[in-house]
Amino acid sequence: MQTLELVAMNTSVLLAAEGQNGVASGLEAAQAFIEQSERRFSRFLPQSEVSCLNQSAGEWRIVSQELMEMLVLSLGYYHETGGLFDPSILPALKRAGYDRSMNEIRHHGASAFREAPQSARADFRQIETDTEGQRVRLPPSMEIDLGGIAKGWIVEKAATLLEGYSTACAVSAGGDIVFRGSPRDSWGWRVNIEDPLDPSRVVWGLQLGPCAVATSSVAKRSWQQGGRVRHHLIDPRTAEPVAADALSVTVVSPTMVAAEVYAKALLIGGERERPRLASRRPELVYFVVRSDGSLVGTPTGAEHVDDLHFTHPR
Amino acid sequence: MKHTSLLRIALRFWIAMASVFSFLVGWVMLAHSPKPVANSASAVAPQAVLVGAAPTLAPLPSLDLSSNSNSGGVQVPQLSIQQPSGLPGQAPVFTTGGS
Repeated sequence: MQTLELVAMNTSVLLAAEGQNGVASGLEAAQAFIEQSERRFSRFLPQSEVSCLNQSAGEWRIVSQELMEMLVLSLGYYHETGGLFDPSILPALKRAGYDRSMNEIRHHGASAFREAPQSARADFRQIETDTEGQRVRLPPSMEIDLGGIAKGWIVEKAATLLEGYSTACAVSAGGDIVFRGSPRDSWGWRVNIEDPLDPSRVVWGLQLGPCAVATSSVAKRSWQQGGRVRHHLIDPRTAEPVAADALSVTVVSPTMVAAEVYAKALLIGGERERPRLASRRPELVYFVVRSDGSLVGTPTGAEHVDDLHFTHPR
Repeated sequence: MKHTSLLRIALRFWIAMASVFSFLVGWVMLAHSPKPVANSASAVAPQAVLVGAAPTLAPLPSLDLSSNSNSGGVQVPQLSIQQPSGLPGQAPVFTTGGS
């Protein structure tokens, strides 16, 4: 198994692949794809395609096929999750202090809190797409952040690219992981779910076949703003960082984008919404670390994921 | 004593006769056995089965010691393995916890 580590999308990325020939070329191609995609879809880069789309809100704008694909996916998941997944929360995210990259926040601190404007926030459903003309129009004043879904999309595409050069491969970006094939020398891929309160501890150990894994956590990407702890998971219902009843939710899914979206939605939705959300996607398996540290899993969903085995050390 | 001496003579005679007889039988058998023929098919076929066709081998590359820059001592051919990083090994253990 050959590996390649890099830093991209403000997180650490690990690529792993094995095969006969060309694995090194595959790793390099996947790295180039990830770096190129980051430049296109990061909201922190003023020249990125997403930033340009935000700047042109209110007007029709021609977008790339890839961005169109992500927007159409986002609209689908917005409806499917009842609005718990909503990329148009960017203004609220900025008000909470996340108006610069996490590296900048860590080094220079977050911006001061700003009151929300009195005007009603534009609904993400109001976004207009013209797939034939490959054009998009955001409602005036709408800004979108494709952060999570874009990362999942990039990881999934990078894994598909790397799969063409290898017999088994994995792509992980900050814990969003896609596995393709099975490693030659072991039964499956090993994944540890870390304790949100103590990342050196493992709360679950999974052994997985080809699938995708994503975790959303309120303990990561958090900062101080005016004496309050803020984090990056905005509840679209309140336009504030979510007061979640869980510290983290990990989802195992056949596809990366679904894992990424549902990890976020299940965390924001809380215990009340989780059964309804999970019933829409019976193929998903999720693991919750509650705010009091207790653990809730969905072993009943395990039959829907090939080769899922997990251990529970507590 | 006389009886023992006669027995000894008889035994010697019997051994001598058995030796001569065995020699003659061997001679006759060899004289009547089929003789090897150099170009006959029956002689070549068993040989082919036992030895088999000799494989055609590519010529070995010559050891060009003069091109090596190390002075003195035995020169070792060098292998070049290209990898971005890391060594081939078991799959890494992944961690997920949000980012």
